[in-house]
Amino acid sequence: MHFLTKNPVLLIAALLVLLFIAGCGGSDESIGSDSGELIVYSSRNENFVNDLLAKFEADTGITVQALHAGGGAVNRIVEESHNVQADIFISNDISALEYLRMEGLLEGFELAGIETIDQRYRAVDNSWFALSARTRVFIYNKDLISEAEIPQAIWELTDPVWQGQFAITRGENAGMIAHISALRYEWGDEQTAQWISAVRENAGAIMEGHGDIRRAVGAGEFAFGLVNNYYYHQQLREPTNNNVGVIYPDQGPGQMGAVVNGAGVAMIKNSPNRNNARIFIEWLLLPENQREFSYSSMEVPINPNIEAIGEAAAISDYKVHDMPLYQLGEYFLDTRRLIEEAGLDLDLR
Amino acid sequence: MRMNQEEQCDSVQYRIMLKISGFWSRLWKGNPPDLALTLVGLIVSLLMFIPISYVILQSVTAGSDRWLRLLDTRIPGLLYNTLTITFATTLVSIVLGVSLAWLVYRCNIPGRKLWQWIFALPLMLPSYVGAVAYIMVFGPTGWINQTLGAGASPLNVYSFGGVLLVLSMFKFPYVFLVVGASLRRLNRSHEDTARSLGLNTWGTFWKVNLPLLRPAIGAGAILTALCVLSEFGVVALLRYNTFTAAIYYQMAGFDRQSASILSAVLIVLTLLFLWIESANRRKQRFYQISGTYRAAEPIDLKSWRLPGLIWVLCVFLLSVLLPLAILFYWTVQGVRLGAIGGNFWGYTVNSIQVAGLAALICIFLALPVIYLRSRYPSVMSSLISKLSSSGYSLPGVIVALGLIYIFNNYIPWLYNTFFLISIAYVIRFLPQAMQYSDASLSQISPRIDEAARNLGLNPLKVIIRVIVPLISPGLLAGGGLVFVSAIKELPATLLLRPPGFDTLAVRVWVEASEAVYHMAAPAALLVVLVSLFPLKLMLSKY
Amino acid sequence: MFDIELQNISKTYPGATVPAVNNINLAIKKGEILTLLGPSGCGKTTLLRIIAGFEKSDTGQLYLADQLVSSCDYWLPPERRSVGMVFQDYALFPHLNVKNNITFGYKGEDREERAREVLELVNLTGYEGRFPHELSGGQQQRVALARALNRKPVVVLLDEPFSNLDADLTMQMRVELQKILKEAGTTAIFVSHNQKDALSISDRIVVINEGVIQQIGTPREVYQYPDNIFVANFVGRSNLLTGVIGSDALSVQTDIGSFKCHHTHGHQPGEEVNISIRPDGLELAEDGAIKGVIKELIYTGEAYDAEVTVTGKSGRQYDLQTHIHPEREVNVGSTLKFKILPEFVAVIRH
Repeated sequence: MHFLTKNPVLLIAALLVLLFIAGCGGSDESIGSDSGELIVYSSRNENFVNDLLAKFEADTGITVQALHAGGGAVNRIVEESHNVQADIFISNDISALEYLRMEGLLEGFELAGIETIDQRYRAVDNSWFALSARTRVFIYNKDLISEAEIPQAIWELTDPVWQGQFAITRGENAGMIAHISALRYEWGDEQTAQWISAVRENAGAIMEGHGDIRRAVGAGEFAFGLVNNYYYHQQLREPTNNNVGVIYPDQGPGQMGAVVNGAGVAMIKNSPNRNNARIFIEWLLLPENQREFSYSSMEVPINPNIEAIGEAAAISDYKVHDMPLYQLGEYFLDTRRLIEEAGLDLDLR
Repeated sequence: MRMNQEEQCDSVQYRIMLKISGFWSRLWKGNPPDLALTLVGLIVSLLMFIPISYVILQSVTAGSDRWLRLLDTRIPGLLYNTLTITFATTLVSIVLGVSLAWLVYRCNIPGRKLWQWIFALPLMLPSYVGAVAYIMVFGPTGWINQTLGAGASPLNVYSFGGVLLVLSMFKFPYVFLVVGASLRRLNRSHEDTARSLGLNTWGTFWKVNLPLLRPAIGAGAILTALCVLSEFGVVALLRYNTFTAAIYYQMAGFDRQSASILSAVLIVLTLLFLWIESANRRKQRFYQISGTYRAAEPIDLKSWRLPGLIWVLCVFLLSVLLPLAILFYWTVQGVRLGAIGGNFWGYTVNSIQVAGLAALICIFLALPVIYLRSRYPSVMSSLISKLSSSGYSLPGVIVALGLIYIFNNYIPWLYNTFFLISIAYVIRFLPQAMQYSDASLSQISPRIDEAARNLGLNPLKVIIRVIVPLISPGLLAGGGLVFVSAIKELPATLLLRPPGFDTLAVRVWVEASEAVYHMAAPAALLVVLVSLFPLKLMLSKY
Repeated sequence: MFDIELQNISKTYPGATVPAVNNINLAIKKGEILTLLGPSGCGKTTLLRIIAGFEKSDTGQLYLADQLVSSCDYWLPPERRSVGMVFQDYALFPHLNVKNNITFGYKGEDREERAREVLELVNLTGYEGRFPHELSGGQQQRVALARALNRKPVVVLLDEPFSNLDADLTMQMRVELQKILKEAGTTAIFVSHNQKDALSISDRIVVINEGVIQQIGTPREVYQYPDNIFVANFVGRSNLLTGVIGSDALSVQTDIGSFKCHHTHGHQPGEEVNISIRPDGLELAEDGAIKGVIKELIYTGEAYDAEVTVTGKSGRQYDLQTHIHPEREVNVGSTLKFKILPEFVAVIRH
């Protein structure tokens, strides 16, 4: 010991070895084969997922290790494909799920309870499925604008009369990308490109995320904004700035209907805890857990038979765009290209 | 017959070996170092090379049309944004750093000693925390607008000016500290000479001090510029698109190849800056302080004392007081709302673990590289040291992805451990440790090394028993700086962390992006507190 | 018999066109004090560093105490050579006190005893606890020497030991160093560009120029019997003339006159030779044969350094250096008569 302290170099070396051992020892637990564990990667907001995972732990006794990596989750799954680390991927965007499936990184099963999810909202081989709907809506501030005045269709955003009055998210936002994919499906590339440029000029603000939009609209900075429906429900529950309303666009006859994306879950191929992953998926398909999935974020369940929060419209209550969700994956890369070319992707103001 | 053939083989082998050893010797200008030292140096540079090799691999396989598309649409705009903010921030930081260092180290501003270490504090604050503080005060729904009415805020945070202000406030200490150190060592005879030739204080400053400070200013400016190039948190929060932001969002769109292309451009920019830095360093003359060194007395500012103090106070307010006050306010709220829960201390331990490990590793690895560069100058050591510095401005995202690629595929037993995060920190921050250690090493004459060898120590023992004790202040200061940088690091940590392993920086980011400030603040405050001791280590160097 | 032997040592630095040291052959006796003398850049320091092991020679062999230390395919690293080195800037370890500096690297049981012994040798008894920054220049040098001597090396190398000292201290240290080294009985090699230092302490001097040995000899030999013009000029000042050896083989005939010399350095009568007359060889004499006009006078306190113009038989003018007693009344332009003292006339070998 005396010898160690006399020579600072050796002391530091000893410290290093200690830290290293501590580190290695700590992480060994997560690398095991079906060792009573489940590794979940999630790109959703962690607050919306933690309760669900805690319930799973309580119900089954399987420990869950969760990585909330936002957009980075997909990349990690792709980069780790030669040495898979994760069992389950929970995503806030169907395009991501389908993208992974197209890359051959997911695994499909015959699952008990899968028929409660409409075929439009799951992968062709059941390797992923949506559990909650994220419908594109207009959230508006009731003090600044009334229900009659607010635009009723997505195309109306190009009208210069709305100049500076609304907020959208940047083009990189997953919800935005999915929405534009739907527009391309409906209108074709040329008209969609027009829509993008016009909206880009017209918008009062291009924000980072929908959370920013709902807060801004609630505070009266803008008359309305383009968000996913549950953000309306969230703002409604704020203690202040909550005098907001919601419009589901394009509901008229001949109009395309509200665009729906979803949050969902996927099983990763060659995962370390395959059996536990299967248990999780089938557990998730139980009605009470489908509800739990959507509950904390106030999203609406894809399964119309599952009870949603109070004022929320069930998915069968309004007209829905007829594009099957798995198309989002195919459209994904070209939509991004279109957005890039229009310059909307990086814009922030 | 067989004997002859063997002899022939032997002689061929011998000749080849002679050629190889001759080549190796020439590479090192006739003075090759110990094999062990070379190996360590090579390993370090290989490690550092991982992210760059990833970028190269991906950009090369990206296909020319993707390159063209990006060059057309994205790269010019990003170049403009990135370069303008870098130059502007560097300029403002120089003005701030030099003026404050001058006032606080050379003039008789009241409370000089206090200001000397206070202005090092902004380095401890993660800059994205500073950005949040500014948003909360000056933003559209911030305190100023709320109390004085909409539009009252003098500053639009979400603008070039806003980003410039925030970045400058938190980067100027780099210039401040380096210039301050130079000012402390300035020999008074220079100024005395100027005075005797008729220059007043102002004239002396412009004609004598400023030119003498040019190397220090240059060094601080390069540090600042490189920092801005790799800055992520501030530009993301304040919605200003630089390369780092674009790369991060490109990643979010699963487009690793476009991200790599952008990274390649960023790397070229970094190399350019580093090249400028080494050219600047070569111009530095080492002043042999022959004769006596007399410390200069503080300059009496007389009637300028008050304006000087006001300037100091203004900067103090904006760069230290404001963010800290906001942190304290929200921490109090957070404590009341139970933010300091069970997990909180877990995050703290995690942070200290990864940052501490990184700092220790850097202390060890910096030494071989700078030792090779200093004592065995040659093409090889120059290559090793340049590779080791390459992580300086790499975006954290790219470092992370490169590491994931290599470790997940080839070194899986280390993958998904916190050790990987530390390696990412080492790649990003080793150059900082190298810089401090190098400054110490360059003050030791190579004759000392030779004296030790002459007295019977082999080269390795010379390093351990003579060099290390002599440069340990520099080594520790470098480790301190690495710790302070690592504990604030965000993008690489976000991507590399194993499930269930969060650091304080990650928590701050997650909470702040959801505007849950009362949860973010305690973590941010703890980051600041934990950085205090290493900061002291770092400052003792000055 | 020989403690140190250099055979055909050459070294060219990478990128240089001329060798730093060229085919050096040198044999040094045990206990000898040898000085490598030459101008800056002549290769003397390179040679010293080759002996110490800090540079590798390209060719040749080096023996230390009969042990082969360096050759084409063998090289003993510096830490394994029994060589003590005193650097020009002393290179004392600033973080260690005097005792620890001296005994650094010494693993024997009797460290304390040895330190005390060697400190006594250099007259620094009682300084064990001091640190280098607390010592004067001369004291630091003595500690450096003590450190070099502590391991009882085969040879001690000293690189320009007096360059950092002022004139008085230099004179004092010259004497002291010689005494210490003789007392220790260690072979020593000095490197110097100052011929006064070399002449006063060496047993032998090696004059080097441009990497090549010009002459090896005792101080007296090198001063009085220079082998070539370079040595004549470099060691002591000289006035160079050409002449012919007189028929009696004890005089030379030059353009400015004939005068006696004490040796012809192997030359035969009638041969043309180069001659060096030391400044002290021109003495003022009422009956002197050489007439000179004073061109320059510099008062140095001890004497006048004078440059005197002498016109030879051929009409050519020669500017000769000499010393004049400070009490003499002389001016620039005065004409004086000189005679040549034969003991200061050297016939150069080549």
